Amino acid sequence: MIRTDDARGQILRSIRESLAASVPLDAMAHAPRRHSTHVPPGPSLQAPDLVPRFTEQLSAVGAQWTLVRGEVEAARALRRILSDAGAKRVAGSDAPLVARLLPERLTDLSRDELFICDAGVTTAQWGIAETGTLVLESARERSRLASLVPPMHVALLSTSRICASLADALARVDVASHAVTLITGPSRTSDIELTLVVGVHGPQVVHILLLEEEAQ
Amino acid sequence: MRVSLFVTCLADQIWPSAAIGAVRVLRRVGCSVEFDDRQTCCGQPAFNTGYRAEARALARRFIEIFEAADADAIVSPSGSCTAMVHHYHDLFEDVAWRARAKAVAERTYELSTFLVNRLGVADVGASFAGRLTWHDACHGLRDLGLKSEPRRLLRHVRGAELVELPNAESCCGFGGTFSVKHPEISVAMLDEKVEAIEAAGVDAVVSGDASCLMQIGGRLSRRGSSVRALHLADVLASTA
Amino acid sequence: MTFEGGVRAALADVQLRGALRQATTLFGDRRGTALASVPDWEGARERARAIKDETLLHLDRYLEQFTSSAERAGARMHWARDAGEACEIIGRIGEVLGARTVVKSKSMATEEIHLNAALARRGIEPIETDLGEYIIQLAGETPSHIVVPAIHKTKAQIAALFAEKLGIAPTDDAAALTAAARQALRRRFAEADIGISGVNFAVAETGTILILENEGNARLTTSLPRTHIALMGIEKVIPRFADLEVFLQLLPRSGTGQVLTAYQSLLTGVKRRPEDEGPDELHIVLLDNGRSRMLASPVTRQSLACIRCGACLNACPVYRQIGGHAYDSVYPGPIGAILTPQLIGIERAAHLPYASSLCGACRDVCPVKIDIPALLLHLRAQVIEQRAGKSRLLERVAFRCYAAVMARPRLYEWTMRVARILRIVPPLPAWTKWRDLRPLAPRSFREEWRVGLRDEGVS
Repeated sequence: MIRTDDARGQILRSIRESLAASVPLDAMAHAPRRHSTHVPPGPSLQAPDLVPRFTEQLSAVGAQWTLVRGEVEAARALRRILSDAGAKRVAGSDAPLVARLLPERLTDLSRDELFICDAGVTTAQWGIAETGTLVLESARERSRLASLVPPMHVALLSTSRICASLADALARVDVASHAVTLITGPSRTSDIELTLVVGVHGPQVVHILLLEEEAQ
Repeated sequence: MRVSLFVTCLADQIWPSAAIGAVRVLRRVGCSVEFDDRQTCCGQPAFNTGYRAEARALARRFIEIFEAADADAIVSPSGSCTAMVHHYHDLFEDVAWRARAKAVAERTYELSTFLVNRLGVADVGASFAGRLTWHDACHGLRDLGLKSEPRRLLRHVRGAELVELPNAESCCGFGGTFSVKHPEISVAMLDEKVEAIEAAGVDAVVSGDASCLMQIGGRLSRRGSSVRALHLADVLASTA
Repeated sequence: MTFEGGVRAALADVQLRGALRQATTLFGDRRGTALASVPDWEGARERARAIKDETLLHLDRYLEQFTSSAERAGARMHWARDAGEACEIIGRIGEVLGARTVVKSKSMATEEIHLNAALARRGIEPIETDLGEYIIQLAGETPSHIVVPAIHKTKAQIAALFAEKLGIAPTDDAAALTAAARQALRRRFAEADIGISGVNFAVAETGTILILENEGNARLTTSLPRTHIALMGIEKVIPRFADLEVFLQLLPRSGTGQVLTAYQSLLTGVKRRPEDEGPDELHIVLLDNGRSRMLASPVTRQSLACIRCGACLNACPVYRQIGGHAYDSVYPGPIGAILTPQLIGIERAAHLPYASSLCGACRDVCPVKIDIPALLLHLRAQVIEQRAGKSRLLERVAFRCYAAVMARPRLYEWTMRVARILRIVPPLPAWTKWRDLRPLAPRSFREEWRVGLRDEGVS
């Protein structure tokens, strides 16, 4: 039987003993790094710069993107993106926006059914301009598998949800989500002779449909 | 400026022109140079191989000899030996010895740092006709931050053309006893350096450490190359 | 195979040397370019090291905090003192669940504890899903690089391997080979009972574990099977959620020259509602296996700052020539040379600290500023003090003589003069096989000094 209580106690004891043994040696060594762990605020992007910076980074990381205004345009663009890719079986997350834009998407799929889908459509809770990254939070939407299993992922993102930097995004995510996923471009590998191959276990194509709010 | 020369055992016995050259250059720029012949070895070979007790004993000797030196600076024609002295305090647990080690280290300079940073001199009145390239010896580069100083000095040598190696900062493979404990790896590393030197079409490769020069020069001559291996002080002392 | 044997084999392997040269150069170049996009790279390194130092100095506290936070979020925590205990814990979880297959994403810690063999002994089939690890597993080999485990294999070798094991037509198209691996693994993901992953960072404040990857296999491993087991060294914990940012700035750039890898999964406990996606159970196994001992001095403690980026491998001129297998150690390269002796004991790894020319290139590129050369020197001193490894009798005698001579300047001068007169050349075939040996100068510096240099140009 594994006495994990013993293991916990022993490991913590071993740590404390080692740290205690280190005290005189630390005193003798060079002064410990007294660098502040505070992150200095970097140059922040201004709001009007966020979208162009975001889309520039998306292209740099091999993601595709389309900018639309309003849901009518978005629905049209979404259908076109999917038909251009020849995607017939399209899985959708449980986001109301996805239901509105693509009523014919497939939901409540079994595992096997999901694995034969051509595309998955979800929203993203945040975008990160500095890196061209999407942030998906499991507390807000069931998008984990639809954004991963099919070979194409289309992500709907409102331009108002683009934040400037990784630090900003980390400050905003809700850790009540049991899974927060950051996605930067399609899946990739260089494991074979350092040759870049796009599309491994995750999607091969990531397309971000950026929604600008319609003026009220 | 009064200088006490830290000759290094390698220069003393195998590459004396480096130390002789250093003395002449230092005098040329206005320093007086003394040599305390009680010095022997800084202990680096022992320290690097793990023989700390032996290294500590030699460190104590060095500190005792040089802290008594009636000089403004202790100058050495070797980056690695200078770096060793700068690490002496790590050898001692005793607070007093650590302080003495640090005090001596503060006054100990590698030649090019001394000339460029301490004396503010880049032109030492040297002449040397030929295409040269510089090899950044590891300890000098990474422990002492030696990078621009030797290049500045070489660029002021009349008649010398300095070309940059694509892998100037790569280790030549000497590494002390590494060169004979793992000779095949040492030579594999060395050949990348030597191939770059040969491709650079130079008359000589120059460095600030006789150990690297032994390694590189030994392979160049074995390969039948006409490229010479010269110490920085060989070039700077040259008025040909 | 001995280290010397491994080295000789590696140096004789022309294809391997070409692959290593290409890989290390490419990653080095990419890292250089990627640094430029961080306004204060040195500041980021300092910050990251400070966070690691702070954590390690209070590791017990942060581990306890991490444990409570993770448990509050629904994770089951396990503590493993050593490799055997970790394998036992994981194996029993598998047994209790009646698991037949397990999918694994890349984890050096699982290599360290030899998990795959332990699972196989229990009749549980472990399936590597990272492409490089999958290739290695099919070939029955071990990884040769922390980030690109199959760097030593050519496309042709992989094609032949896949033709044999997967029954595909031989092709030298990397995309086709990748597609074949993807195809073969899809079903394994879908059917696996358990997903096993490593952990890049574990946040004490929230109980979150962070996993970085490019392929998507870690996401599949940690979201499809009903049970997820995450194995982490105890040094992976960091204090605050916000601390992740600086490590995410440093790790992808240092390892592969990417600004960010394609995916980061931040996993905090298990799903809150049954209808949510993801595993029902999350087990986090905290692994000591020698790490707690390393806390006992500042010089060894810094080994635990390592974030497993692989930058030191790419910068090391020794690794560049011989690759990972020659080290014959789970962790190769500079980090391996300092970690392995501390994990498995200096007696069994006495040669590793000497597999270096002490050039310091590793220290320059380490994102958390580990002074690897200082650690190598510390371990060498330990080898000599404890008389670990092979007999060094001749070497000891030589250094005693050297010390005795160098302590006596007249004896030193006399010895060298005799050697000079008698033209004594030490037999050093290890040198002279490849390099000419520069002889003793006809006159030493001190002789020159005495016969004229002392008074030259001095009025």
